[in-house]
Amino acid sequence: MLRMTNLSKVYRTHMIETHALRGFEIDVREGEFVTVTGPSGSGKTSFLNIAGLLEEFTSGDYILDGVNVKGLDDNARSRLRNEKLGFIFQGFNLIPDLNLFDNVDVPLRYRGFNAAERKRRIEDALAKVGLASRMKHYPAELSGGQQQRVAIARALAGSPRLLLADEPTGNLDTQMARGVMELLEEINAAGTTILMVTHDPELAVRTTRNVHIIDGQVSDLVRKGPSLVNPVATAAATA
Amino acid sequence: MLAYYFRLGLRSLRRNPLLTALMVLTLAVGVAASVSTLTILHMMSGDPIPEKSNRLLVPRFDNGPLDGWAPGDEPSDVQMSYPDVANLLKSGQGERRTALFGIAGPLEPPRKDMPAFVADGMAPTRDFFAMFDVPFLHGQPWSEADDARAADVVVLGRAMAEKLFGDADPVGRQLRLMGTPFTVAGVVDHWNPRPRYYKLVGGNTFGDADDFFIPFTTAIRHEADNNGGMSCSSKREPGYAGLLASECTWLQFWFEARSAADRSDLQAWLDNYAGEQRKLGRFQRKVPARLYDVMEWMEELKIVGNDNKLSVWLAFGFLALCLVNTIGLLLAKFSVRASEIGVRRALGASRREIFRQFLIETGVIGLTGGVLGLVLAFGALALIGMQGKEVAAMARMDWQMLAMTFVLSVAAAVLAGLLPTWRACQVTPAIQLKSQ
Amino acid sequence: MEIRPILSALLRNKTGPILVALQVALSLAILANAVYIVNERRAVIARPSGIADEHSTFYITARNLNSDGPEQRLATFRREADLLRAVPGVASVANVSQMPLSRSGWNTSILLDQRQQRENASASMYLSSDSLVKTFGLRLVEGRDFLPQELVDLDEKTQDRAPDQVILTKALADKLWPGASAIGKAIYFGKSVEGMSSRVVGVVERLQSQNAPIGEKAEWSVIIPARRYGDTAAMYAIRTEPGQRDRVMKEAESVLRKTSSTPMILEMRTVDQDRKTLYRSDVALQWMLVTVSLLMLLITCSGIVGMASLWVTQRRKQIGVRRALGARRLDILRYFILENVMITSAGVFGGAALGLALNQLLVSKLEMARLPAGYLAGGALLFWLIGVIAAYGPAWKAAGISPATATRSV
Repeated sequence: MLRMTNLSKVYRTHMIETHALRGFEIDVREGEFVTVTGPSGSGKTSFLNIAGLLEEFTSGDYILDGVNVKGLDDNARSRLRNEKLGFIFQGFNLIPDLNLFDNVDVPLRYRGFNAAERKRRIEDALAKVGLASRMKHYPAELSGGQQQRVAIARALAGSPRLLLADEPTGNLDTQMARGVMELLEEINAAGTTILMVTHDPELAVRTTRNVHIIDGQVSDLVRKGPSLVNPVATAAATA
Repeated sequence: MLAYYFRLGLRSLRRNPLLTALMVLTLAVGVAASVSTLTILHMMSGDPIPEKSNRLLVPRFDNGPLDGWAPGDEPSDVQMSYPDVANLLKSGQGERRTALFGIAGPLEPPRKDMPAFVADGMAPTRDFFAMFDVPFLHGQPWSEADDARAADVVVLGRAMAEKLFGDADPVGRQLRLMGTPFTVAGVVDHWNPRPRYYKLVGGNTFGDADDFFIPFTTAIRHEADNNGGMSCSSKREPGYAGLLASECTWLQFWFEARSAADRSDLQAWLDNYAGEQRKLGRFQRKVPARLYDVMEWMEELKIVGNDNKLSVWLAFGFLALCLVNTIGLLLAKFSVRASEIGVRRALGASRREIFRQFLIETGVIGLTGGVLGLVLAFGALALIGMQGKEVAAMARMDWQMLAMTFVLSVAAAVLAGLLPTWRACQVTPAIQLKSQ
Repeated sequence: MEIRPILSALLRNKTGPILVALQVALSLAILANAVYIVNERRAVIARPSGIADEHSTFYITARNLNSDGPEQRLATFRREADLLRAVPGVASVANVSQMPLSRSGWNTSILLDQRQQRENASASMYLSSDSLVKTFGLRLVEGRDFLPQELVDLDEKTQDRAPDQVILTKALADKLWPGASAIGKAIYFGKSVEGMSSRVVGVVERLQSQNAPIGEKAEWSVIIPARRYGDTAAMYAIRTEPGQRDRVMKEAESVLRKTSSTPMILEMRTVDQDRKTLYRSDVALQWMLVTVSLLMLLITCSGIVGMASLWVTQRRKQIGVRRALGARRLDILRYFILENVMITSAGVFGGAALGLALNQLLVSKLEMARLPAGYLAGGALLFWLIGVIAAYGPAWKAAGISPATATRSV
């Protein structure tokens, strides 16, 4: 599904060069639920941005669902994001002036579906997260957990291949967080690949696989589970 | 506290110079446009003689023929015929009275080196000078006896006296006017009320001061031509005698009442007179006699024209646009400071304090706009004055208008600032402190 | 086209959009009326007076300070006119009672039947015992000029009678006898001169009155083949060869003064000067309207740009999120331009209504003319265009916001 090889990302500002990622390698297979952990400043956000085609990388290779991302122009990347990826942010990032229906609608409009198709998908997505009855409500009227569920619905509405989540439970209390995690696990069980960045070790424990980033590189700390082995070695073996 | 807010306001102006400059400029331009057009309107329509403008009264009859007239038609004549003027002068009504008409005649200066030229003057009766508070530099108005015997005496305007006689006192000297020697009785000091409210018909309403004054009876005796308007709607015999006997209207008349209360008595007398004239067959139309005081007369004769009014409306419409624009700019300016407001509120500022601080800030903008607006207004008035001497006389700012500039600017700024300031107060401390 | 969500979002946050729409509305309303008035005045100022070559025409008011009797005066006037004709460069001289556009002169009532009550028209009177058709260069469209024997000199102190022949302007003829020829018809000059009627012998295309007000009255004039002389000064209208006017003026003055035994007072004015003075305030109003209109456009433009920039700044995060969700740069650009067009449209419709209301006020209170629809339509197009152009800059900036803004915490 997602494979990065020898990827590096360098930020250059005035006289300073920051290597956010260097020699980064990762391989995520279809259907996996992978958590990405690491201390602050380790490069998690850069990794997520690049994985989500939100930023360009300096060197290396990135193949997403069989498509080589390098060399794609902005329009092509936007299209790819729109069709293949779904995003869930820590701050929910719902548009406050739009109701739930219109919020979930945003990515579908860029897809070019007709009105009937969009309506169907929105209703399905909101039903899946249990908020179909509040379609006409505005984000300000919902709790944090509910807003995050709407964000998930927005991410799902376009039937993405890969879901990218950036600290989805960071702004939620424990009960809401648990609810969101259960929802994500449901979605993963239904077949969607999920890549989740978190610094909560408890959450990292729940998933099948955990990737740890330190200083812009994948470290060889892995937890128990089917992939209880150095991920680099695993990638080399299956290549 | 207010001084603190004032300083804060000044400092905030400097922080975002582009936005501030835009706001101040927009406000200044709007204020300048409004003030300059208002100034001209103010000069044109201000009360020229407030102490007695309600006691100086113009009578108006309708001595037109029945032909071509339907009851209810507005009277078209604004002047009076000689028979009526003669009757009113004799009547003794009111504290004082005067009849006048404009004359222009050849003046031959006593100095041989100066060629003859046409001078513009007026022929009132003696009471005119007292009625209109005309200031004298030398000598005095001619006497009643001079009026009675139509003596060849003249009162000069100051500019004309200086032109003919320099700085010397010319009383008693002679000059040739309309071919006859006249003796100078006095010199009027600088006196040029604009508009020329005592002689609104006949042109030169905003022009130069009158060159000379001679007695009304004298001008009639010399058969001086009327330098003004004339309207003849019935038959008129040829010659000057024919003019005096006709119903042509070419003269203007003023009463001075002792007090405003005496106006009704005068009206009653006029109604009576009109009734008598109708019986005599002179007034054929059934139109009541009317009286106008100074302000009413200026209004009736439409001294302030439609174009002036249009200019004022346009300027205020423009100011409204500048106001709305300023509201938008202020909203922008205040919204980027939401975090500052949140912090201030967290540190203990009440809503009212925030309101006061930001309203004073808009006041500072208003003052700055006012200063710039004043400069621009002067420039605009100078530009308008380039049209000609007459307009330039109107395009002059007095203290009232100066003060008005600042009042208008600050009021406009505060009005524009009300909504943004109110918005600023609504910022709750908590939400703004939490980063997005 | 995502019109509905944009509209929904705008309605949630009404203040900013309303302020912009209000500015557009105010500007459009005032601008449409202002431009119309400017055009109207331009048309008024451009009206020809009827004088063929205004740049070469001037007039002298000559006043002789002698004490001659009427016959001697008449002789002096004739002599003065001959002297003027002899000046090189002079094409034609005529004595005349008043000049068009000079703001000084007489009007008279015209009646078709002396017995009737109301006048048919009020016309400006031009008296001359020379040929005004020749000196002014008027264009005869019907009939003929006066014959020499028809031109008379009358002592106004003793004689007063209606002229036997008159020449009218076309506008006056059409008013009195619509659709018919005026030649040979009779008119009466109000009640002030009783008796005989005057017969129309010629119709000139155009000769404006001394005041040339707005409207058809400006074109109603009658030429009377008589000079009425009395104590008043004599006025001579002089047409020179092209380009010679200023030189002729100086020579004319000196020739008149030199040949007079008694002192003279001479005043000279050109038709160009009269035209400039007459329309001075109209020109000033035009300048004022144009200046204010341009300023309004500028201010509205800056208002749109400012507001749009503010919204882009305020919605940085949101724009990043949209990009993250798959919006291309073009989609963001289109969103902002569309949003702006919607706001401008609201302003345009409001402005059209306001403009009509304003015009109604002007018509009723200030005697102005009704606004033709074209001005509002043109103004609407202009503001739509301005809305798009003004929003382009901020929209372009918005499109440049990186999708990574979505994940960054501010």
